[in-house]
Amino acid sequence: MKLKTTLLIAALCSTTAHAEINISGFASINGGKVLSGNGAPQFGIEPSFLADYPIVSTYTKDFSFSPESLIGLQVTGDLGEGLSVTGQIVARGANDYDAEFEWAYISYELNDNWTVQAGKKRLPLFYYSDFYDVGYAYVWMRPPADNYTWQIFNYEGVNLLYNGSVGDWGLSANIYTGKEDDEQNKLLSDFFFRAPTREIWEDILGGVVNLSHDWLEIRLTHMRYTNKRFVNGEPTMWNGKDTRDGKFYGLAVNADFGNLFVLSELNRLELDSDFDTYMISAGYRFGEVTPYVMYSNYEQDGDGDTEKHDTTAVGVRWNFHPSAAFKVQYDRVKDDSFDFAVAGDSKALTFGVDVVF
Amino acid sequence: MKHLIYLAFLALSAHSFAAVSVIVHPSNASAIDDSTINRIFTGKEKSFSNGNKAIPIGQDAANPVTEEFNTKVLNKSSAQLKAYWSKLIFTGKGTPPKEAANDAEVIQSVSTNPDTIGFVSSSAVTGDVKVVKEF
Repeated sequence: MKLKTTLLIAALCSTTAHAEINISGFASINGGKVLSGNGAPQFGIEPSFLADYPIVSTYTKDFSFSPESLIGLQVTGDLGEGLSVTGQIVARGANDYDAEFEWAYISYELNDNWTVQAGKKRLPLFYYSDFYDVGYAYVWMRPPADNYTWQIFNYEGVNLLYNGSVGDWGLSANIYTGKEDDEQNKLLSDFFFRAPTREIWEDILGGVVNLSHDWLEIRLTHMRYTNKRFVNGEPTMWNGKDTRDGKFYGLAVNADFGNLFVLSELNRLELDSDFDTYMISAGYRFGEVTPYVMYSNYEQDGDGDTEKHDTTAVGVRWNFHPSAAFKVQYDRVKDDSFDFAVAGDSKALTFGVDVVF
Repeated sequence: MKHLIYLAFLALSAHSFAAVSVIVHPSNASAIDDSTINRIFTGKEKSFSNGNKAIPIGQDAANPVTEEFNTKVLNKSSAQLKAYWSKLIFTGKGTPPKEAANDAEVIQSVSTNPDTIGFVSSSAVTGDVKVVKEF
């Protein structure tokens, strides 16, 4: 990856003479705290609100700006004739603001409808996955944590993108394939296993179809992959094998009637058992002020104690500036498991400012 | 002085009642309805019905005509539109239309490039371009 990053920078720099360079960016400065909560004493976890699983953005009873604040910078070098190079660097409070390349890819427009991209990209599992970091682009403080739980969120590979229309319907679709080898997976290492965990998702093959017409938008997705895992260097075995296959299915339906809007997602991951997640949210735009409500749920199928949690949230977004929004959100998390508890019950208040530039 | 006040008043009233005209090159005979305009300006449609490439030209966000166009034609506030484009820009799925500085610049581009489509205040329309729709 280091080599690729170097190559990308070299490509961006060497093109300055001939290419149009575009710099854009986004930032979120968020703060908050847990108002009350139980934590998960059986695992030694203090009262916590896990706002983002993969990044392990954890609020506690001590007010903090660190868990979710971030700044991202995107540089695109347009080399003409449909060829461009893009790098996106993100520095997160949750990682002590160490800047990392989250996206690094080349893009080539085959024609008006088809584009092929190769490099490091966001894994587009959920509706909000690939613009999760861009708080300005959605209404809430963050997409619901109960849904966006999967530990792998990038991949290196190839993506074929279609953008066009069928009659009055806008149609965009993509097919992608690749691999992610996360040598020290943050969620598994820091939170779940508390031991250095290498998480590999290989033979990733996925597709997304997005249809939009007037007030309605529908997104369908499917992805499959093979999982390998090493905890403390030892391979994890599942039913006597060191690999297991996962299949992901997702449906998102959004309805926007101008002022009133309803957003929803329904997802299933088939691994050793089925993991079902869904969320539903609604809001109303009063000019630049948008109050909203949201409910999300995560449930692992099976008998006895399995992983189960849900979140109810209310909040307000206020576009106080042409390029900035202020948000405040109250979250109530209920964690219904003991052996598979994540962070226990909590009530938390978070707020922040999102900007794009 | 009286003249100036009258001019200022005229400018103000023109500002609040300004109609927006969507314009193309006079040679462009494509069928263009509200939905087509909406899709071209949100990056969902890349060509005209005559098969030619469609290049939308926006205007500086601070120009009153931009706000008129966004609300009347795209049915979005400028914040909503900015959120929409942020989503596409930072996921490598699209880039917003290039922005011209003013009506004259849009007319200049549209009158010289048959692939372009733009919007201007109706009062600024000249014979060099064809109005396909007025809002």
